[in-house]
Amino acid sequence: MIEQLQKLPGVGPKTAQRLALHILNRSEDEVQGIAQALIDAKKQVGFCQTCFHLSAQSTCEICRNRDRDSSTICVVSDSRDVIALEKTREYDGKYHVLGGVISPMDGIGPEQLHIQPLVRRASTPEVREVILAISPSVEGETTTLYLGQLLKPFTKVTRIAFGLPMGGDLEYADEVTLARALEGRRELD
Amino acid sequence: MYLKSLHLNRFRNYRDREVQFDAQKTIVVGNNAQGKSNLLEAVELLATLKSHRTSRDRDLVRDGDEIARVSATVKRSYGETDMAITLRKQGRRVVTRNSENLRRQMDFLGAINAVQFSSLDLDLVRGSPDTRRSWVDGLLIQLEPVYAYILQQYNNVLRQRNALLKKIRNLEENPPSRELTAQLALWDAQLAAHGSRVTRRRARVLERLAPIAQSWHQQISGETEVLEIKYAPNVARSQDDPEQVQQAFLEKIQQRRVAEQNLGTTVVGPHRDEVDLIINHTPARSYGSQGQQRTLVLALKLAELKLIEEVIGEPPLLLLDDVLAELDPNRQNQLLEAIQDRFQTIITTTHIHSFDDQWLQNSQILTVEAGEIHPFVPNI
Ligand SMILES: Nc1ncnc2c1ncn2[C@@H]1O[C@H](COP(=O)(O)OP(=O)(O)OP(=O)(O)O)[C@@H](O)[C@H]1O
Ligand SMILES: [Mg+2]
Repeated sequence: MIEQLQKLPGVGPKTAQRLALHILNRSEDEVQGIAQALIDAKKQVGFCQTCFHLSAQSTCEICRNRDRDSSTICVVSDSRDVIALEKTREYDGKYHVLGGVISPMDGIGPEQLHIQPLVRRASTPEVREVILAISPSVEGETTTLYLGQLLKPFTKVTRIAFGLPMGGDLEYADEVTLARALEGRRELD
Repeated sequence: MYLKSLHLNRFRNYRDREVQFDAQKTIVVGNNAQGKSNLLEAVELLATLKSHRTSRDRDLVRDGDEIARVSATVKRSYGETDMAITLRKQGRRVVTRNSENLRRQMDFLGAINAVQFSSLDLDLVRGSPDTRRSWVDGLLIQLEPVYAYILQQYNNVLRQRNALLKKIRNLEENPPSRELTAQLALWDAQLAAHGSRVTRRRARVLERLAPIAQSWHQQISGETEVLEIKYAPNVARSQDDPEQVQQAFLEKIQQRRVAEQNLGTTVVGPHRDEVDLIINHTPARSYGSQGQQRTLVLALKLAELKLIEEVIGEPPLLLLDDVLAELDPNRQNQLLEAIQDRFQTIITTTHIHSFDDQWLQNSQILTVEAGEIHPFVPNI
């Protein structure tokens, strides 16, 4: 069990041991509950067919929400980034999750990302702005460049312009920084 | 700046040792393979987050242990700072400053500055261009820590671009598809953007270093020889304008397009830079005796010391690993005069009397044996 737990992100040998001891001290019912919740989540949660955010239904809550501004799409690499941006409560548009960034070393080109559906969404008249909020790593920058060129013929494209920690992931950016970054976006040339 | 103490825990052959430095000069005496260079390596690591002996953290962790820790207290004009690095056989290192974990390694750099001089440094003259590039990079990292980040980004672009070029070569579609050509163009732009940052900074630092090194060299060699340091970047630049340098990159990439696609690797960029060391119009490597080459390296090291002092406004540490005994009395004197009492110096040697006695005056003397450090007790 310790070995399995250690495969989880952020869980080292010590944490794994602590979790394992904790689980062993619970009643069988409780453990059954935890296990079932994991399996249920895995079975039920898939991807939103529109924005590719994690979702139990074929369209996620954000895409279904009519109060949200559907003229802006914020493009991120990962579902974790959606969660981070949602915490800021500064953004009330829609999202698009790419599922990664361009990285030839890992065999990830544009074809491996959810880019075609993004182009289709961006080319509808309803969409007036696409915000690229991809982490400023070398791979993220390259993806931003690529999307900028690709989407410019269809709509206004901006990017989050500053304040993101260098080389860091979006998920680590503190909420104030993210909120400021959203305000400070600039148009891609 | 003054290194007050250094604590080595499970580092190389040290189990757990703390050294208090209590003089401007510390002489570390010990037989071969006892831990003298390891001690200096720990200081180098604090100054640059790199070791010139290995690029793998697991080599630095004591055999049989999992985690090593190097910590130090350094006194600067603005106050005292505690620095620590935790190294693991497996996994990432953690760096802290005044017990605060730093997320970016860049924020660790700059608290301790050091110039290391060992007999290996003769490779600066004789070795491959790679040796000289890492020397310039190491200096730059200390002068402007953001360079560590710039260089890391450049190397990242290089790896990604090489992967794409390899893919293009292996597909053997000739010419490559429009989609792949478009992707390559993105990485061309990245190579130009990041490569030009590296090139411009290297040019800038060498421009400042060259006259200082030249004047030291003239002084040490008795005004008979003239040293020139010439930066020979892979992408030549006519002026130091970011746009212009990037343009030069893109043009050269265009020229070497076919070659790159056939080789499946990047041949344009600062990873192919050279730094030419020239004495009396002759490449230093084919010029003169070992002694003359040593004079050249000594001049380079003294220039590093002065440049760091000039830029950061405090004298850096000087680490002399086994080299003092290799210098003749005249050069030993020149060195001693140059550092005076301003630069805190740590000197390693196998024999206490292998260099001039004036080095021993006002020095702290320590002995190292199998990873244990003790005050020196002279044999009577
Ligand atoms: N990870 C490690 N764990 C344990 N011992 C190590 C480790 N790495 C190196 N050593 C040992 O450290 C010793 C080398 O130390 P060091 O290079 O400091 O020698 P030195 O005192 O400078 O000797 P010399 O005079 O030959 O230069 C060797 O005995 C080597 O086996
Ligand atoms: Mg040694």
